[in-house]
Amino acid sequence: MGRIVLDKVTKSFGETQVIPPLDLTIENGEFTVFVGPSGCGKSTLLRMIAGLEDLTSGNILIDGEDATEVPPSKRGLAMVFQSYALYPHMTVRKNIGFPLRMEKMSQAEIDERVEAAAKSLNLVDYLDRKPGQLSGGQRQRVAIGRAIVRDPSAFLFDEPLSNLDAALRVGMRLEISEMHERMQTTMIYVTHDQVEAMTMADRIVVLQAGVIEQVGTPLELYHKPQNVFVAGFIGSPKMNIFSGPEAEKHGAATIGIRPEHTDVSMSEGTWKGTVGVAEHLGSDTFIHVHNTGLADMITVRISGDISVKHGDTIYLTPQAEQIHKFDAQGLRIE
Amino acid sequence: MSDRKLPRLLQTPAVLLLLVWMLIPLGITLYFSFIRYVLNSLRHPEWTSPSLSNWRGFGNYQFVLNSKDFLLAIQNSLFIVCSILFLTVILGVLIAVLINKSFPGQGIVRVLLISPFFVMPAVNAVLWINMILDPVLGLQGIAVGGINDILDGMRTMPVLGGFFSLWPEFEPISFRATQTSAIAVIMMVTWQWTPFAVLIFMTSLQSEDQQQKEAATLDGAGTWSQFRFLTLPHLGRPIAIVVMIQAIFHLSLYAEIEIVSRGNGNKNLPYLIGEFANNNIGAASATGIFAVILANIVAIFLLRMVGKTLME
Repeated sequence: MGRIVLDKVTKSFGETQVIPPLDLTIENGEFTVFVGPSGCGKSTLLRMIAGLEDLTSGNILIDGEDATEVPPSKRGLAMVFQSYALYPHMTVRKNIGFPLRMEKMSQAEIDERVEAAAKSLNLVDYLDRKPGQLSGGQRQRVAIGRAIVRDPSAFLFDEPLSNLDAALRVGMRLEISEMHERMQTTMIYVTHDQVEAMTMADRIVVLQAGVIEQVGTPLELYHKPQNVFVAGFIGSPKMNIFSGPEAEKHGAATIGIRPEHTDVSMSEGTWKGTVGVAEHLGSDTFIHVHNTGLADMITVRISGDISVKHGDTIYLTPQAEQIHKFDAQGLRIE
Repeated sequence: MSDRKLPRLLQTPAVLLLLVWMLIPLGITLYFSFIRYVLNSLRHPEWTSPSLSNWRGFGNYQFVLNSKDFLLAIQNSLFIVCSILFLTVILGVLIAVLINKSFPGQGIVRVLLISPFFVMPAVNAVLWINMILDPVLGLQGIAVGGINDILDGMRTMPVLGGFFSLWPEFEPISFRATQTSAIAVIMMVTWQWTPFAVLIFMTSLQSEDQQQKEAATLDGAGTWSQFRFLTLPHLGRPIAIVVMIQAIFHLSLYAEIEIVSRGNGNKNLPYLIGEFANNNIGAASATGIFAVILANIVAIFLLRMVGKTLME
């Protein structure tokens, strides 16, 4: 239960249209990530699904029923906010139990469900504390607990991890992924971090300026980006994208090659350049290559370590089958 | 000189000044409250200058306790303060929530709402008692007269006239009377101080987290539940502050009481002190000490309450 269909949905604030007509289907049980740069409308889209934002036109169907005019609380969706939005005057127990209390559920049943949710989130020891006494990760868990108890048909996450530090973020990412495996409930997750998108999603929706650039599994997006924007957005470090004579050689207006798909040699290769900064991560080395005549800078990623110094001459050879070609409109050429 | 002595020494003048500032008036009041000291006496001219030879012990306190107005003054002080607090907090919260929504002309409405606070207390009292509450010439008198005129007209109607003639004439209320003068004071002070509460609550409402409200909307909380479970707890602190500040101010109300009824049926402790001070400084000082004790009791309660909300 939890198939969400957006049918020609649009949103305007005054004169500005932030979301032009948009169609999207989110299948039941799917973990969908909306990803895109800031201001691309991904949060607005999520808030429209939640009912916090009115649609300018179009329809939203939840499980086949038109939910466009249904008030937020009746849509059967639960949302986790970036700021957690916990109720500061209530204990963790009351926070998690609040939606049930609003449903006028009996106190015994509320207690039972709150305990169960707290147990699954390792919050049992904190039930009588207030949000102010919790760490960021614990607050995030309380916010998730408040969503879980409602037993919603879909979860909506609005950049839930962006207020956490890097280590905690990786941990919570795993927890949310595991939660999805366990519950098999539809989840829609908004983020600007493509790593989060790649690691968690069943399906990624890449948005730019309110327009869907591509929908696909993480690996589809990685291997077959539909256009230059997706190619540059997905993958870390970013794909090297350039146009000019070198691109024309491949019969395209623009070509792209990922840093990890470029072979490096100190003596011979297709492209010649000088080494700029080399970032040694131990497992990998990122080398920034200048003066190739292709683009300002080309990044290459080498597995393991390599001893290069600033100013060394270096030769790069792209793996031919990994070159992405795009036409003048920026669309992929197969 | 050790490390601690120098800072202490440098603090001394300020601390001494504060002590002198506080202790000398209190000491003089205490002294006067234990002697016979009047401003004018033909029979006992020796009482007209303060002197230890006029020692009266607790006689002044006994005199105050036995005076018929003392209990009334204490009751009235508390009644007036509590009523004003109750009304200003409730009205303040309601108005603040109402004008926190955006609407055209918001700026002007807010300025107008604050303006009663800038009226001088004596002017406020004169305006209310003469122009609004006066049973003949005030708004009240005119309104009651108008209603009675309409009733008169309806009594002459053909069929329903009989029904309306059963209705009594409305009587305007005199707010200078013994029974009602305290009510008049409460009304005018509430009018003046509600803006203060609104101002404090409004600033607090503007800092309320909107995402919490959105989360509550999704959790199924309606407008009332959001107000009850989010806004009201959020306002706990400002309410405590408004209560404390107003309690301190309203325990010393004077101008309104003087202007409404010259203390007729409606005295509070400061007014009683003022009456005694017309001649009997000893008794006025004893009443002053009672007022200090009352204020301290109220302050302890309030500080507990405010402290509790601030600790959270």
